[in-house]
Amino acid sequence: MLRAPAEIKYADELDYLESVDTGPKPFSWRLSPRMVRIFVLGSERSDGLDREIPQKWFGDRGFVERSIVTLASDRGLLLIGDPGTGKSWLAELLAAAVSRNSTLVVQGTAGTTEDHIKYSWNVSMVIAKGQSRESMIPSPIMTAMERGVIGRFEELTRSTSDVQDALISILSEKYVSIPELDDDNIVFAQPGFSIIATANSRDRGVNDLSSALKRRFNFVRIPVVTNKKSEAEIVRFRTAELLRRHQIDLELPPTLLDILLQSFADLRTAAASATSDDDKLESALSTAEQIGVLEDAILHSRFFGDNTLKAATLAGSLVGSLARRSPEDLAILNKYLHGVVEPRSKQDEGGPWSEFLSGGREAIATLS
Amino acid sequence: MSPFDPLREQLASAAAAFGPALVDDVEQALNTDVEIFPVCHHSPASALAMVRRLREKQPRVIYLELCEDLRPVLDELRNCTLPVALQAFASDIDGFPPEWAPLSVIAPITESSAEYQAIAYALDTPGVEIVLVDRSVDHVFQWEPRTGAAADVGIEIGDLRPGFAALEEHLLHHGKVRHWSEWWDQYVEQPLSGADYDTYRQVMTLIGSLFRRLKPEGNGVDEDRERYMWTRMREHLAATGTDPAECLYVCGAFHAVSPVLGEHLDISPRTSTTWLYGLIPASHSAIEDQFGLAPGSISIAAATWRKSVKRTRLTPYKLGGKSARTGPRPGTPAETEDRLSGFLAQPPSLDGFDEAELLGWCVEIVQLARRNGYLASTADAIAVYETSILLAGMRNRKRPTPYDFQDAAVTCIEKDVVPGRRDVRRLCEILLGGDKIGQVGYDSLPPLARDVLDRLQILGLDLSKRTIQRALIDLDARPELEPCSHLLWILRRLLPGDAVRLIMGSRRLGERSHQESWDLAIGRNQRSIIELGYEGVTIEQVLEQRLRRACWDEKATAAGALDAVEDSILYLGGRRLANELGARAVELLAGERTVDDAPDVLRRIRRLLAHCRAAEPELPEWTKSFVTTGYAHYCTLLPTAFVDEETGVRQVGAMLGFLFTMESLALSLGCDQAQLELAIQQSHPETPAKVALLWTARYQLGLLSMAELRERVGELLGNPLVVASVPQYVSGFVQALESAPTLAPFVVEVLSRAFGRLPDSVLLPWLPKLITTLRDQAAELVPMLVREAGRTFPARLADVDSFTPPWLARAPGKPVTPPSSEPVSALLAAHPETGAAVATLLGCTTVAGTRGAVAALLAAHPSTGAAVAEVLTAPAGLQRTSMSAFPSPSDRRARSLMQAGRPNGHPGGLT
Repeated sequence: MLRAPAEIKYADELDYLESVDTGPKPFSWRLSPRMVRIFVLGSERSDGLDREIPQKWFGDRGFVERSIVTLASDRGLLLIGDPGTGKSWLAELLAAAVSRNSTLVVQGTAGTTEDHIKYSWNVSMVIAKGQSRESMIPSPIMTAMERGVIGRFEELTRSTSDVQDALISILSEKYVSIPELDDDNIVFAQPGFSIIATANSRDRGVNDLSSALKRRFNFVRIPVVTNKKSEAEIVRFRTAELLRRHQIDLELPPTLLDILLQSFADLRTAAASATSDDDKLESALSTAEQIGVLEDAILHSRFFGDNTLKAATLAGSLVGSLARRSPEDLAILNKYLHGVVEPRSKQDEGGPWSEFLSGGREAIATLS
Repeated sequence: MSPFDPLREQLASAAAAFGPALVDDVEQALNTDVEIFPVCHHSPASALAMVRRLREKQPRVIYLELCEDLRPVLDELRNCTLPVALQAFASDIDGFPPEWAPLSVIAPITESSAEYQAIAYALDTPGVEIVLVDRSVDHVFQWEPRTGAAADVGIEIGDLRPGFAALEEHLLHHGKVRHWSEWWDQYVEQPLSGADYDTYRQVMTLIGSLFRRLKPEGNGVDEDRERYMWTRMREHLAATGTDPAECLYVCGAFHAVSPVLGEHLDISPRTSTTWLYGLIPASHSAIEDQFGLAPGSISIAAATWRKSVKRTRLTPYKLGGKSARTGPRPGTPAETEDRLSGFLAQPPSLDGFDEAELLGWCVEIVQLARRNGYLASTADAIAVYETSILLAGMRNRKRPTPYDFQDAAVTCIEKDVVPGRRDVRRLCEILLGGDKIGQVGYDSLPPLARDVLDRLQILGLDLSKRTIQRALIDLDARPELEPCSHLLWILRRLLPGDAVRLIMGSRRLGERSHQESWDLAIGRNQRSIIELGYEGVTIEQVLEQRLRRACWDEKATAAGALDAVEDSILYLGGRRLANELGARAVELLAGERTVDDAPDVLRRIRRLLAHCRAAEPELPEWTKSFVTTGYAHYCTLLPTAFVDEETGVRQVGAMLGFLFTMESLALSLGCDQAQLELAIQQSHPETPAKVALLWTARYQLGLLSMAELRERVGELLGNPLVVASVPQYVSGFVQALESAPTLAPFVVEVLSRAFGRLPDSVLLPWLPKLITTLRDQAAELVPMLVREAGRTFPARLADVDSFTPPWLARAPGKPVTPPSSEPVSALLAAHPETGAAVATLLGCTTVAGTRGAVAALLAAHPSTGAAVAEVLTAPAGLQRTSMSAFPSPSDRRARSLMQAGRPNGHPGGLT
């Protein structure tokens, strides 16, 4: 499997936590809320577990607690944040910990229809046998209702308002009726059912939620990580995972990680002080973006280099992934290289910053 | 021997030394002869324990860790609504670095604090004495390191917080809380709120000892303070012979475990700084802000206190209340028992779940959110309730704390962030008590503040309210309100922005309003008024001092001094101060080496002169001396100002304005016009704008005729090489209006010709700049220009076609022949009354039948007649202005001479 879902990947941890869990469990939850928190945020000595649980999501503890508590309550959970802040990852971890199934996902797009949320029909079976429960194809959400587990809705605001509003009755009445059938025509949600939705704060204007739907969700806002220490932690954690997935054996030098974090921090400051959209990069400069840059650099040096990560490669990947508009983004990167990196490279002559500078220059020259 | 043995030994000995030391500290603190009561600031648990202990022990003397010289202010607390702050203030400092001034020390007091309970008990119980033992405010600054500024020092009793950042982080992380106040509340405050006295005392001293030992930067100053306090206590015990067993020493837990208990300190004398003491209103948010506490923590502490008082059915002490009940005196204290082991071994025992309280909060937060524009409903109240309980459960608490409730409310209610709207977290703070603001009662106010309130009483408003009050004053109908209005004007000058705001009415030199309307926020700005009270006894005295200080300041300027003169005339009346400040203004002007302020100086001295002419019997000495000094001063600086790049056109224009418009008065006072002529001759400006100014100055002096001036402008417009700089010439001409309003038609002409002839590439970029420059630099000259333009150009559309500008209408090149004196003498002979009236005015006796003599005189001096004829035949616009009060160059000299005869006369141009 290229990428195992969290419940498979961390199956042994979940099994262990379930075995030692003595706390009260709401509905049909597999773990108690406190254990869910430990699963997501990692264990500490004071938790008294005889096995260490590593941290999987990095961010304020309050956000995780509020999310878990929302799932235990009557409302759905909506995670809002900039792209790349780890919303979907948190949603996956929560679903895996609560119901051991994080794959009941609806992806919201402009083309999502109500069928994707409720149910659709297997046309050939309907022709052969007529409409019945057998010829019906339940959506992931309906499956989650029937099983009493967590359903996920990615990018809720990308789907159109009428589709969004189909969720209202699911979240308040907790059933879906199938008017086409004469009997057995209502699917009731089993205890434990809830929905985790995610929404981009940048796209909120696309299809803003109706206030009726807003009422049925609790909002947890996840900010961009700006703390350098935890950001380094996240990048290291995710990159290790990616390297494992690609079966690459490559050392990630700490100085290069520092360079990556520092350059993103610089670019973020520049974006924050920009006065118009033309003065800032199109990218949101999120942590996920950093991981993307790093992954790109690693793959590049693995297959086209000598299997060691160099600052020049990193600079090339940085320019390659961040330059999306020509000439605006290229101009900003050029300004950054010459205004910020150049003075720094003069300070450490022959160090990684000068190599980074020359790599960046080369990449910009190629692109422009 | 293992290589690690030394390290092992080191660590073991550290543990051995550190562990028992904490317990030793506790034991030592419990066994002093004077009973130590350790407190923590703004802690309801401390306050509760204090109430219980006071009821039980009934001590005769209370020693309190508070600056000893604040004692007299404590009695005034009776008249106040808490929270208020004790303040010591010194503006006149001696013995401290001068850049520290003014010094201010603030000690806030809230109702839910242990120290207030002690104060209230001591002040309201007969026979009980309260003694403040901490170093005086003077020593606070004496012991301050002499680096940087030291403004507004806040002091608190019992500051208890780890001085070691890593420890605080560790405690917060493992306590699973966000900030220090929350940790304290959960792990110390709540478990102790129901604890007995021994447990309370032992736990507090243990925490004090822990933080003390982990403080990274040493305890030098703290130890000195402890020695100071013990020295004062021993002195008091020795002087009064009180039994130490009847005393209670209230101090922060940090100081309770001192290694220097009972030691003596030689106390240094105070400096000769004069300290003033008073009470100022404080607020919860101000206290949180000053002492770096989490927002809302004091409000939450106050709410906890109210609740605990209700639950434990204790009657707290309150100043002015009837709580001083004397109970049975206790016997000897029981043996000390170990309460610590039990306390430390158990998890914090929290209060039981209070359903009604949480339900109340949930309903109220939804209401509050709705009122603040959130879409919140009863369903949200239910969700908040459920979420709070779930959150508390997850955080291992039986009862949701206010912090859990806050998180739950944010989760369930906050859906979007709207700038300018209060966020839900803030709403929760408001709900849990909100920001409480104290008030100082009338009797505790300084004399100045009381005086202000007394004098404003006639308005019939309740000025103690914190709302804005509208005062309507009809000075015609109720002349008795005049002093009140006067006071409001002074307050407006002295107090910060919104305290006294004028809605309608004006007060300028020579003006008075019939009706005034004011917005008063005196109650809200109590602190500012109290602090004015430190400066003087009456508001007038404070204003006088401020004006003087402004004039004798190192950075004072002549313009500033003139402003102060104006203020003194407006607000204080009387001539003494105005004369004194005016004399200072003359001194300052003579000493000035730049002319940056010239425009201000000109504007203000014109205003003041106009006022003095109208209101005073004769011009005050200082104005005369200001005009003569100014004349000489600006004449001297003129040549430099013309060439100096730093000096702007506006400044030079204002200098010329001063020189020409004050000239008549200056000459009458003995100045010499040759000085000005020389100065103009010496001036050789290079920038176009200043060149234009110089031309107008020369025209004023009669060295350049109008025709020549026109010709020069024509050359400028005709020369393609200088066309680009024409706009700068024009701005010079505009500034010249300051000194020569007669030039208005000429400036209009120049502008019109420039608009007509300049190429678009020069004109279009210049236009916006012209507008902004006119607005910024010549706002007062624009109306004159507009009026003149209105006169020059046709008012109706129909007239436009036939319109010819006056400067084109004039027949070119027609020489003005000096007319003979015949028509003039004929005119004068035909109307002898005019001549007679002028003669009377000049003080001559009228002689009948003077025709012959007049004719002879005119024949002897034909130039006068020629000049008059020239004026009479001049173009329309120019003629009208010339006929107005302002002299044209040729008769200017004659007018000056006339003025010389009448020093109090009205020179032209000033009216």
